[in-house]
Amino acid sequence: MTTGEMNIELKDIRFHYGKITALDGVDLTLGEGACGLLGPNGAGKSTLLRILLGFLNPAQGEGRVLGYDIRKDQFLIRRSVGYMPEDDCLIPGMDAVTFTAYFGELSGMPRQEAMKRAHDVLFYVGLGESRYRLLETYSAGMKQRLKLAQALVHDPKLLFLDEPTSNLDPQGRREILDLIKDISSKKNIQVLVSSHILTDIEDTCSHVVILNKGKVAAQGELEALKEIQFSLYELRTKGETGGFLKTLKEKGCRIEETEDELMKIYMPADLFRTEIFRTAALENVQIRYFIKSRTSLEDLFAETVGVD
Amino acid sequence: MPIAERGYAHWEGTFVERRFPWWPITRLGIRLAFKRKFFKPVFAVSLGPAVFFLAGIYMSERIEDFQFMFRGRSGNRLLGVDPAYFKTYFTFETTLFLMVMLMVLAGASLICDDLKFNSLQLYFSRPLRKRDYWLGKMATVSFFLLIVTLVPGLLFILFKIIFSGSFKLLADYPWLPISVIGYSLLVTLFFSFYTLLVSSLSKNRRYVSILIFLIYIFSDVFFGIFYGIFHDSSFCLLSIKCNIQQVGAFLFRVNPQYDVPWIYSFLVLAAICSLSGFVLKKKIRGVEVIK
Repeated sequence: MTTGEMNIELKDIRFHYGKITALDGVDLTLGEGACGLLGPNGAGKSTLLRILLGFLNPAQGEGRVLGYDIRKDQFLIRRSVGYMPEDDCLIPGMDAVTFTAYFGELSGMPRQEAMKRAHDVLFYVGLGESRYRLLETYSAGMKQRLKLAQALVHDPKLLFLDEPTSNLDPQGRREILDLIKDISSKKNIQVLVSSHILTDIEDTCSHVVILNKGKVAAQGELEALKEIQFSLYELRTKGETGGFLKTLKEKGCRIEETEDELMKIYMPADLFRTEIFRTAALENVQIRYFIKSRTSLEDLFAETVGVD
Repeated sequence: MPIAERGYAHWEGTFVERRFPWWPITRLGIRLAFKRKFFKPVFAVSLGPAVFFLAGIYMSERIEDFQFMFRGRSGNRLLGVDPAYFKTYFTFETTLFLMVMLMVLAGASLICDDLKFNSLQLYFSRPLRKRDYWLGKMATVSFFLLIVTLVPGLLFILFKIIFSGSFKLLADYPWLPISVIGYSLLVTLFFSFYTLLVSSLSKNRRYVSILIFLIYIFSDVFFGIFYGIFHDSSFCLLSIKCNIQQVGAFLFRVNPQYDVPWIYSFLVLAAICSLSGFVLKKKIRGVEVIK
């Protein structure tokens, strides 16, 4: 794998659970860095991860992960990929070093090297001092770091993180996010983060993939997407706004009204802001306050998936 | 606790293709078993019958020295080391009971803990097949069971030859080592399947431990009840212990205790193994590692 090649390439991936379509023609191309995988429940995120890890064979389509075919080279994929699950995972009666080395060994590392490497990654994730403690005595934050350590022990080229900050206090969350940023930006490991916490994705990822109803609703550079998909304007008005809002909605805008009578207008990329003024003039509405707002990932997500 | 006390360095080594990818799982299972409370004393006690029978082999060769113990009866008749002697050790109730205790202590947690603590996700995100996982877990139970079956069985033959200074035992019964190996493997395989089956039924280790024990005991109790009512020895097929004894009797070429063809007992044991395989296949699914 050389720099510039794509780590994940999926083409027209389709998958069905019986009559239910989980993935419907997913095309995906991801290079280096950190990428956020977003989507409401049932969007197909888990199915996509299962396919990427080689647990499911797609009904149609083809794909490669780190250059390996997702249908034929599932073992090679799992050897080169690290996976940090969402749930707490441990083996009772073990300490962190043995646990981490054990999974390194199961990945195919020689036993002694796995043990040596386990020490290194545990120090890296901040569990160096407590690496000989029994896992049952670990706090939620420590278990989260342990999961990251076992995912890193065999030095994967690609890391799948499933809800990496769940059950963490703000400090723990910050630390895990710092680690993810460090891994993805300085260690030449590509990270795919699946999370419901949009700010986490915004903090750590430069790239984002939004799935909705089994399809890719949006993908690309986060900043560019926020610009391309829509523009967000905030305004205050005076006068009867019924007709004004109705006309804007007919033109494809999505409108949110806050408690302090501030209107947020999500404008499709093909409309200009002058349209707002033109409509206001036609509907006899005065615009008293107008500002182009900074769009967040939350706005992008809401706009793409169609939920508030 | 500071993050990244040390920097991250890439690993320069190369992955190895293991001939037995399940071996690390077995090694860990054995290690964790020895850490379990009460395991060490039970393991030591489980070797007791073997020591006792080994002493019997020694006495059989020094029968004159121990004649006082037999109170005038023929020591040779009581301590004849023949296939029946081996069959007695292997199907001895105490031996079987201690094997069940080993299964409870070393095997109950094997799958149930992985289900409870979600570690299946970690196993199957590695280059590991489902059968490697099963084999690793089965080999853990098998390791302990073979120590109380195969190892003593072969030692009995060896020590009989050493104590007697002749190969008469092997000359008289040349098939005996094969019987010892065959029986040990069969009973070990059955009990391993049985342990994994029960271990996969619950996420609670205590329930699993109790269940392993109760199924074994109650299968025999039910046989006793039905036999008491109907006086029909075919009810021995209900009892795990009796089925093992029937198959053991066939392998060591001695008369079976119950008037039921050994093959029926063998089929009952095989059916339990098949059921175990079926349940494990349903319960242990790599695809469910991502929820």
